[in-house]
Amino acid sequence: MSLNRFDQEADPIVRLSDISKRFPNGTLALDKVSLEIPRGQLLCLIGLSGSGKSTLLRHVNGLHKPTSGSVDVMGMRVSEAANKDLREVRRHVGFVFQQFGLINRATCLENVLSGALGRLNWPRYGVRSYPKQLRRLAFDHLDRVGLADQAFQRADTLSGGQMQRVAIARSLMQEPQMLLADEPVASLDPESSGQVLELLLKIATEENMTVICTLHQVELALGWAHRIVGLRAGKVVLDRSAIGLDQRDVMDVYQRVDVTEAPTADEDVPTSILNS
Amino acid sequence: MSSTVVEQRRLSPPFTARNSKLLIVFVGYVVATIWSWRYIHMSFAGLFGGFSDVAALIARMLPPDFYQLSGIISATIETLWMALLGTTIAVLISFPLSFGAAKNTTPNKFVFALCRGIITMTRAIPDLIFAAIFVRAFGIGPLAGILALGLHSIGMIGKMFADALENADAMPREASISTGASKWQAIFASILPQATPTMIGTSLYRLDINVRASAVLGLVGAGGIGFIIQSALRSLDYPSALAAVSVIFVVILAIEFFSSKVRASILGERSASVVVVRSQSERSIRRTGRDRTLLVDAVTMRSLVPPLTSDRKSRIISVWVYAIMLGIALGTINMPIFSSFGYFDDAWRIVTQLVPPDFTTARSELITGMSETLAIAFISTTLGLFIAIPLGLLSSRNIVIRKMVFVGTRSMLVVFRGIPELIIAVLFVSAMGLGPVPGTLALTLVTAFFMSKLIADTFEEVDPSPREAIFATGATRMQELFGSVLPQAMPALVSQILYMLDVNLRSSTVLGIVGGGGIGFLLLGSIRVFEFGTTGAVVFSIFVVVYAIELVGSWVRGVLDKAN
Ligand SMILES: Nc1ncnc2c1ncn2[C@@H]1O[C@H](COP(=O)(O)OP(=O)(O)O)[C@@H](O)[C@H]1O
Ligand SMILES: [Mg+2]
Repeated sequence: MSLNRFDQEADPIVRLSDISKRFPNGTLALDKVSLEIPRGQLLCLIGLSGSGKSTLLRHVNGLHKPTSGSVDVMGMRVSEAANKDLREVRRHVGFVFQQFGLINRATCLENVLSGALGRLNWPRYGVRSYPKQLRRLAFDHLDRVGLADQAFQRADTLSGGQMQRVAIARSLMQEPQMLLADEPVASLDPESSGQVLELLLKIATEENMTVICTLHQVELALGWAHRIVGLRAGKVVLDRSAIGLDQRDVMDVYQRVDVTEAPTADEDVPTSILNS
Repeated sequence: MSSTVVEQRRLSPPFTARNSKLLIVFVGYVVATIWSWRYIHMSFAGLFGGFSDVAALIARMLPPDFYQLSGIISATIETLWMALLGTTIAVLISFPLSFGAAKNTTPNKFVFALCRGIITMTRAIPDLIFAAIFVRAFGIGPLAGILALGLHSIGMIGKMFADALENADAMPREASISTGASKWQAIFASILPQATPTMIGTSLYRLDINVRASAVLGLVGAGGIGFIIQSALRSLDYPSALAAVSVIFVVILAIEFFSSKVRASILGERSASVVVVRSQSERSIRRTGRDRTLLVDAVTMRSLVPPLTSDRKSRIISVWVYAIMLGIALGTINMPIFSSFGYFDDAWRIVTQLVPPDFTTARSELITGMSETLAIAFISTTLGLFIAIPLGLLSSRNIVIRKMVFVGTRSMLVVFRGIPELIIAVLFVSAMGLGPVPGTLALTLVTAFFMSKLIADTFEEVDPSPREAIFATGATRMQELFGSVLPQAMPALVSQILYMLDVNLRSSTVLGIVGGGGIGFLLLGSIRVFEFGTTGAVVFSIFVVVYAIELVGSWVRGVLDKAN
């Protein structure tokens, strides 16, 4: 595998080598993290709030650059890539956010269409500025997440679960090799959480996508993930196959470290953990 | 009580840094007003004499004489087209400018500073000053007026556009970037759609303002109805002048009504319009029913274009109406569009003569003019405030019990606010002769009309529960007014006074153009005799003073916002 040559088939699809991230304000969010993620793996990232999960995901698609270490995704050294190369990688990596990231005033169809921007040349504004063939495709993706009927509704008229499904359809529009999901169901009620997560996994398996998902609900994670990685204060403290792993092993990740070493961020322990 | 023993109880509140700063501001303001009063030789006798002169003039104007009606109508139409074209130019320039002037979209710091600088400059220089300069370059006629409106409006439109971009939620943009979109693709796909309603609302609002502004541009020869008013007054044809004033007055009110309606429908429920949209009329129910069918049909037929719902339809109609009006404006306005490009040479020559500004030739006139301008601003703000407070109280529905009173006062104020201030100034100058006093009186009236609305709105927002508590102690209505309403409204009031001072300063720089005192006289004179170096000095001084007052204002607001 040669560096800096984009390769859709690369395996492992992601390689993090010893990355550390110190933010300008001094916070050490990642501390020498190394991970290799083989193609097609469903990886679940767990850890307390502030342990560095979002920061890790953001390194994978180059929204953040590491302070030291290197990030390789599909053969491209993302941590050093030029803008153009970075866009090439991002086109093939879907990102699902906790807060959806939809344009409230735009229709669902337009929101989904914006997922195709990476392979278009000019700025676009409004549904009509996208080619017809892409609009057809966007309809199909909306269909797949069960929202074709809402195609011309404004995004802010939808429920939270529906919004996240539109966001998933937007990712599908990219035809991604890999999906990064940052607490995709944390803003949803339990019932739609289940539905959205199920949809996400169904699509990922059907398309043979690699998935890195951060999740608060450990029981859910154990149900579907191939591999569980636990972070604590920016360090990997657990990296195991999900098979044979029980909740108690996982709970250790949520044990607070020595108070003096604890990250300064809010450390709310997820409720599902406390109750279990 | 704290642990320390209080030997002698304080009987007056402690003097915090905030209070002493505010006291300095207050004393400064009072001193400035007294100085101003002496500087322009105001007197209460002159004040009442002035109002009776104006009353006499109005008596001579009555009844209006419409023998010039066709001329008045065509001048009114020209006024409207000038406003439309000027606003269009301003929007076209402001749009790209705002991307440079918004923190989240600007390419770099240099572009940011440049764009913000252009916005501040164009805002500080009144449109009438641009117009007076452009009349020299492009000749008498609407082109000068259109360019003046276009340039000056950039200040407000550009700022509001940039703010709209900055206020956009950043999440969708990050999502766009994550799909592999380029910077500008992400901005267009996710920032711009969030800003468009504000952008459209701002443009319409500015169009509204520019209709008023373009009504007076004729005073310096820049086209429109102001020219007719000016020449009728000069030839002492008062009834005809009143006819012109009343026509433009009605048109301005009508435009204001329509524009607030359109803005309300674009901005939806969030708009702060005076027009109340009845929410569930039979028609709107039928309309939403039809829209729903259209949406369902579009989805089942897999239509690839958004269905023609009533919202969309009215948007498309608005665009067409605008396009057609623009076409008519360009086609009919009395303006040699292409040949006038030849004059840009002249315009450029004038611009180059404005710098370096020449402060020496007319040094004493410059100082007197600027002092007079400041004096007019201070006095008209203070006097206007004294009139506005009772008017404001009378038009607050939570203070005046009788509905008749506040509805009556409110409607009267709405009507008076429709008259452009410079037209009032022209009337006062015609009645009382040249000088700063008529200018001051005119601005005083305008301030009173405008500020009483601000004050009434403030009073209506006052929290009712402390009021009840004070009534419950057996206080009289007056005691209650001073005991609970005024203290609650005070910070807002101070900030409104600052705002009015700022507005009046800008206005008083141009009063001199119609003989109402202040720096405008020297400005117009220097342009007439081609002493553009002096013109540059005047423009520079105005910019500095206006900007300084703006800075002082924002400093005082900052102090006000502090807790102690
Ligand atoms: N842009 C940033 N600037 C400074 N500190 C940050 C930034 N983003 C995250 N952090 C800090 O980095 C640590 C890890 O944050 P994050 O990755 O969001 O944790 P998680 O997603 O696990 O809750 C936290 O202490 C957080 O405060
Ligand atoms: Mg997070």
